[in-house]
This record gives sequence, structure tokens and C-alpha cells, in this order.
Amino acid sequence: MGIFDKLFSSKSKEIPLVAPLSGEVVSIREVSDPTFGQEILGKGVAIRPTSNRVLAPCDGVIEMMFDTGHAVSLTSDTGAEILIHIGLETVTLKGKHFTIHAKNGERVRTGQLLIEFEREALIAEGFDIITPMVICNSDAFHTITPYINKTVSAGELVLGLEK
Amino acid sequence: MATITHIIQDPLGMHARPAGMLVKEASKYPQCTIHVSVEGGTPVDAKRIMGVMKLAAKQGMTLTVTVTGENEDTVALQLQDFLKENL
Repeated sequence: MGIFDKLFSSKSKEIPLVAPLSGEVVSIREVSDPTFGQEILGKGVAIRPTSNRVLAPCDGVIEMMFDTGHAVSLTSDTGAEILIHIGLETVTLKGKHFTIHAKNGERVRTGQLLIEFEREALIAEGFDIITPMVICNSDAFHTITPYINKTVSAGELVLGLEK
Repeated sequence: MATITHIIQDPLGMHARPAGMLVKEASKYPQCTIHVSVEGGTPVDAKRIMGVMKLAAKQGMTLTVTVTGENEDTVALQLQDFLKENL
């Protein structure tokens, strides 16, 4: 492949990020916490989960597994800095209902288990379990396309990034 | 270079929301280079979410913020006020 072919193919090539959870995919603006809903942390998408296992949305490296297990960030091999935040205000649980399955600096593959959580217990305690996945370095991408208003299984496309 | 410090009062420490708010605040000063470190650790760019979250700063730990650029003293004081109010 010549350099021009590479140039053009990479230009039109969308980097896929897959759903870390099964559930209903909605606009990030539907998240009531303004940190997410107003895109302060970056652009992205949100899932109302129907599963309780958070899987890696791409190949990459774990940057920050919060010791509370309520959130995890990773850098994709394609350069996206991704934050997945399970539910809102869940930091206050200090780890209760969350089990961590990956550690800082660990290389992970798409679909690898990162966190398990007790979804029903969170709901029973009154937490909003909507789970935003945002691109913290949104400025590094020309376009970020959320694929919303559909029900997905974990592993299906939910975000497309173009540099 | 202007330097300020702040001891984290928030019992939840530097989680996603305060990290985002700090980055938003620091980004108001494009003319300045702003770094933040915790307890003498490696400084990170205060305008990048991932770095600020990775500080994993907890309640009781000391944040050090350094500001370099135009009006650095004023900017440092404004950041100190911001931290007092939010973290």
C-alpha cells in the first residue's frame, strides 16, 4: 500500500468503541449529572445497563482503576482516553457492590472483564445506574459519533471516532 | 512561576467530578501552563482529565499547583480559591 492509500484509508476509517455493557444506548445529554451531561469530561455516550459486567470497549491499557471500582479509565491503542463511570454518585459507596477485575497499567483486550457490579443492589439503594462512557481527550478527534437510541449487547458498536 | 498548595477536604477525594471541574477551571487560562501534583509526586498537566484523575488524590493529601505565564500570581490565587470551594 502506498503512502497516499494509507492517508486516504486512515482518513475515512472510523475507530470503533464497543458497548462495555448490554442495555439501552442514549445521548450523553440524558445524564442528569452535569459533569457528564454537559460534556465537561468530554463527548461520549451513555448506557442504561441491563447487564452487570463492564467489559473493555477496545484494546488498550488501564490508566486508572478507581479503588472504589465505580469507574475506570483506559487509553486505547488508537489514542483515545476513555472513562467509563458506572452509575451516578456511586463514588459515595466507596467500593460497596463493585468488584475490580483489572489493575492500573494492565493491557486489556476488547471484551475483557474490567469490573463486576451488583446492579439490582444499586437500584435498590436508589442509585441512577446510567453509565456514561466519555472520551476525555475529545479534542484529539475530528468527529465523535454516538450510535444512540438502540438496545445493544455488550460488544456492539456504540461510538465511532475519527481523527 | 507561582505556586499554591491545597489540602483536600472532600472525603471522596479527587474523583471524576472534581477532576473535571479542575480541568475546566484551569482551561480558562490558555495563556498559562498549569501543573498539579500530589504529595510531591510527578506533576501532571492540569488541563488534561486523565492525568488529573490518575493523581488518585485522597482527603488529607496536599495538592501543589504551579502556574507559569501571563498573570501567573493572579491565576494561582484564583485556582486556590477554586480548590477551597470545590475540593
